[in-house]
Amino acid sequence: MIFINVDEKKISCEEGRTLLDVCLENGIYIPNLCHVKGMQTPPASCRMCMVAIDGEKKPAMACTTRVRENMTVMTDTPEIRHLQRTALRLLLSVHDIDCKNCSANKHCELQNLSRFLKVGLKAAPYATLLKETAIDRTHPCLDYYPNRCLLCGKCIHVCRQKNGQSVFTFARRGFKTVISTFGFDNPDVFCGECLACVEICPVGALVVRKDAVNSNQKEEDT
Amino acid sequence: MDQNDNIDETKMLRDIEGRLGVFGRERGSLIPILQMIQEKYQYLPKGALEIVGRHLEIPSAEVFGVATFYNQFRFHPPGRHPIKVCLGTACHVRGGDIILENFERKLEIKEGETTPDQEFSIEKVACIGCCALAPVALVGETVHGGMAPSKVEGLVLRIEVEKEMRQRAGKKEQDG
Amino acid sequence: MRVKNPKAVFQEIHDAAAGRRASVEKQAVPTVHLGMATCGIAAGALETKKAFEEAILERGIAAVVHPVGCNGHCYAEPVVVIDHPDSGFSPILYPNVSPGKAKMLVKLFLEEGDPRFEHILGATVENEMIPWVMEFSRFSKETRIVTRLCGQIDPESIDEYILKDGYASLARALEMEPADIRQEIKASGLRGRGGAGFPTGEKWELAAQADGGDKILICNADEGDPGAYMDRTILESNPHQVIEGMAICARAVGAEKGIVYVRAEYPLAVDIVGKAICQARETGLLGDCILGSALHFDIEVFQGSGAFVCGEETALIQSIEGARGMPVYRPPFPVESGLYGLPTVINNVKTLTTVPPIIEKGAEWFRGIGTPGSPGTTVFSVVGEVVHPGLVEISMGVTLRTLIFDICGGIPNQKKFKAVQIGGPSGGCLPEEFLDTPIDFDSLNEAGAMMGSGGMVVMDEDSCVVDVSRYFLDFTQNESCGKCTFCRIGTRHLLDILSRITKGEGSREDLSCLKDLSRAVSEGSLCGLGRTAPNPVMTSLKYFEDEYLAHVDHKKCPGTTCRDLTAFYIDLETCARGCDVCVGCCPVDAIFTTRTRKKGIDQQLCVKCGECKVVCPPEYDAVRRISPAEGVPVVERLDKE
Ligand SMILES: Cc1cc2nc3c(=O)[nH]c(=O)nc-3n(C[C@H](O)[C@H](O)[C@H](O)COP(=O)(O)O)c2cc1C
Ligand code: SF4
Ligand code: SF4
Ligand code: FES
Ligand code: FES
Repeated sequence: MIFINVDEKKISCEEGRTLLDVCLENGIYIPNLCHVKGMQTPPASCRMCMVAIDGEKKPAMACTTRVRENMTVMTDTPEIRHLQRTALRLLLSVHDIDCKNCSANKHCELQNLSRFLKVGLKAAPYATLLKETAIDRTHPCLDYYPNRCLLCGKCIHVCRQKNGQSVFTFARRGFKTVISTFGFDNPDVFCGECLACVEICPVGALVVRKDAVNSNQKEEDT
Repeated sequence: MDQNDNIDETKMLRDIEGRLGVFGRERGSLIPILQMIQEKYQYLPKGALEIVGRHLEIPSAEVFGVATFYNQFRFHPPGRHPIKVCLGTACHVRGGDIILENFERKLEIKEGETTPDQEFSIEKVACIGCCALAPVALVGETVHGGMAPSKVEGLVLRIEVEKEMRQRAGKKEQDG
Repeated sequence: MRVKNPKAVFQEIHDAAAGRRASVEKQAVPTVHLGMATCGIAAGALETKKAFEEAILERGIAAVVHPVGCNGHCYAEPVVVIDHPDSGFSPILYPNVSPGKAKMLVKLFLEEGDPRFEHILGATVENEMIPWVMEFSRFSKETRIVTRLCGQIDPESIDEYILKDGYASLARALEMEPADIRQEIKASGLRGRGGAGFPTGEKWELAAQADGGDKILICNADEGDPGAYMDRTILESNPHQVIEGMAICARAVGAEKGIVYVRAEYPLAVDIVGKAICQARETGLLGDCILGSALHFDIEVFQGSGAFVCGEETALIQSIEGARGMPVYRPPFPVESGLYGLPTVINNVKTLTTVPPIIEKGAEWFRGIGTPGSPGTTVFSVVGEVVHPGLVEISMGVTLRTLIFDICGGIPNQKKFKAVQIGGPSGGCLPEEFLDTPIDFDSLNEAGAMMGSGGMVVMDEDSCVVDVSRYFLDFTQNESCGKCTFCRIGTRHLLDILSRITKGEGSREDLSCLKDLSRAVSEGSLCGLGRTAPNPVMTSLKYFEDEYLAHVDHKKCPGTTCRDLTAFYIDLETCARGCDVCVGCCPVDAIFTTRTRKKGIDQQLCVKCGECKVVCPPEYDAVRRISPAEGVPVVERLDKE
């Protein structure tokens, strides 16, 4: 057991755990989108979980920082909040903000974050840049909404955890990156049953298609 | 025509399958395999990604994800005369984008596309290492330095004329 | 197997090479050394070679054409050095040798002994008759360690390298304890030439200490900067020095497997390195028991697939493992856990190429070159508005002024210097005040630029810093791996804002947005790409804010570069009546004849390619480009219905 100091609160924790896990367990909320508890190698891609650590010049990511004895952490400096708000606005600038028609309305991480960071659900001053394809229907039973997706990668992670291999992958690069299920052809994955991806998606980017057939059944049918 | 394409594709995929034997089944072979296919066929046919996935025992989505990450890989066959316009730093400051634009205007396609007759395709590349000759364009493997809008016209014209002469020569042979 | 004395084994190899060379060189005939690296070939070296060979054959002269690599004098390609001992002249360097010139030189110089002084650049050794190239500062102010043999030897012949004392450092290193090699490198103060300048000795020490199985050594030749090509030149011109450096490193850290990670866009380099590795293996300089010692080390080539971010070490590892080249959070650093989880040393080509000379001449010698904080030399590819562009190797600490004005000949056409962009997409843009800044890792960082990849663009008064910043942002935006929020989306907005400004659609708010977002992207991004991507914008905003303001407030591009803010017109005063030169060159037929039989430009049709300005005969020089575009004089077009 070691002690760390977060926002002037003394917390005891096990050495070697991630700062994010420890804070969340102790009721100190740090915004986060791409972290799944217990991940071996966190992707650290959403860049939301920034904190200021005493003695370090640059903000650190809580999900990749391991706790050390006596470390002093601030989660609520103006600098940190400013960067988090910028990140949120950037995410919103590529997001089709249409909450009324979204399956995730009221349990959406973006809505939560905007409330927590006290900014509106707006991209301004950044212009809105949406992708051309609104819905990707190549998967037999899931609809994918590129303009809702945050590219957090959690769906890839849970699918791999549950099924050994993931139906999903990142495809393309840079600004054009999307989640893809190209040539969904893996008979070992009984897709359409576990729906872990739909559940873990922090927004409404993966939606079970109404008329969907279980891909497994489809296999038997043909 | 369509049918022909299908036959060609089946043949091509069978050929690709045959070539995979020399590659190990570990994940590290993935990029060398894709490079081999592209070197042979100038692009990666969709079916090939599935074959590669089976060879490496990974979902084809993974293969697709990797292939789409890298600039090198194409998913459509390029034209017979691939044109590459350098947009490296030196060429940019000497107006490489103007050269690109002129090719686009002349051939009526955009960067990344192929003309309907499959003769030309346009790509942009970063520095090909002859900055002193900037701006530079490649037609096939030949480097053309000191490019200018009027040279674009000339280059395209020359290729078209050459093609016509070849066709005429071919016809004569057939006739004769 | 009994471990033999490496030096003795090396001596045998050296003698054998000398024997083979002697039998070639015995026919002491004139030799034409011809630069055949990619740049030379692009400038027409293949045709020149053919012309030489044909002319030599035709005239029945005894002479040989000897392909060599690139000597960095790109403005002079194809470069030829003719060594004609019987003529009484020292070896002579000829620039820009076209096939026609080649034929002429064969006839007049090789056959008749007249070196044609008007075509000479200089002699490569000091002599009485012809100025020595070292009298020119383009040559004399360079300090060549990394590129010392580039352009002098045939890269495809291991014998030539060995006869220049190549691999002697490896033989020496094999007699040293690995810890002593590491100590020597540490003492030399060598810092990584891949951009960040991490001390190489320290990296090797960490790798040597790391436990966790076999160790791997990767030579990073991904060279993604769109304006830098020195790594390729080294691989194409002197691959064995890289291999030797790798083998010494392998001995120092205990690696058995090496990988050269080369961009696939460098086919010639891939080819030459592959051949060099085979030759080294056949000669016993790679493989098992190198030079009879206990060192086992072999190298393979891995071709990158076109992703700038794969130059970043963790992304590079991902791509070798067959994954998308997305950077991974460090620590653990590759030296602890890299390729397949094994301790992995990753060094740049230039870093490894510097190693053999250090082992040969000692750390003391190396520290004597450059500055205390950054010993040694650095290679720049200088492009843009300079008289002698090309690759230049200088000792650290030389000032930008010396490099740009003395070595590269300054700005052509009596134009004024405006700025220099250093370090490519991750570097910065510096104004005149910084010309006396010494070039080394720390001074450049302090100024806001970066050593980066060694790309350098010199801009004159007719270039636009906003445009150049936009260019680099366009590049990084395109090359972002897309993993993290700030880089994926932030660089895109930066680019969009810059594009707006260059189109004259920017506002003052855009400028403050640029500043704020730049800082956020560089603070919040995961890897070096995102962290440094805003550098070109941040530095140009800092040093050239007035140019940004001119674009925003007055829709004026001070460098008359941004196409939407400029216009071309023809000065009716100087335009020559009846001259038609520009009419045919216009790709969109925008040029028409005025009532006075002079020319005018139809502003609606003009695409601003500038071709007419190029072709207008210098005695008239009638085409003008102005900014803002509104200022263009109206000339009525009569022939249009
Ligand atoms: C986006 C990015 C691109 C890079 N590209 C290269 C490159 O092309 N070549 C290179 O040697 N290092 C490159 N690096 C630096 C490498 O990550 C690494 O630091 C270097 O290869 C280490 O070698 P050194 O210690 O010899 O400098 C790049 C880094 C980043 C962040
Ligand atoms: S679909 Fe959902 S879970 Fe998957 S990457 Fe996008 S936002 Fe994350
Ligand atoms: S900073 Fe850019 S390139 Fe680096 S990991 Fe993030 S998105 Fe990828
Ligand atoms: S939760 Fe840490 S970066 Fe996403
Ligand atoms: S920038 Fe085009 S060749 Fe270098």
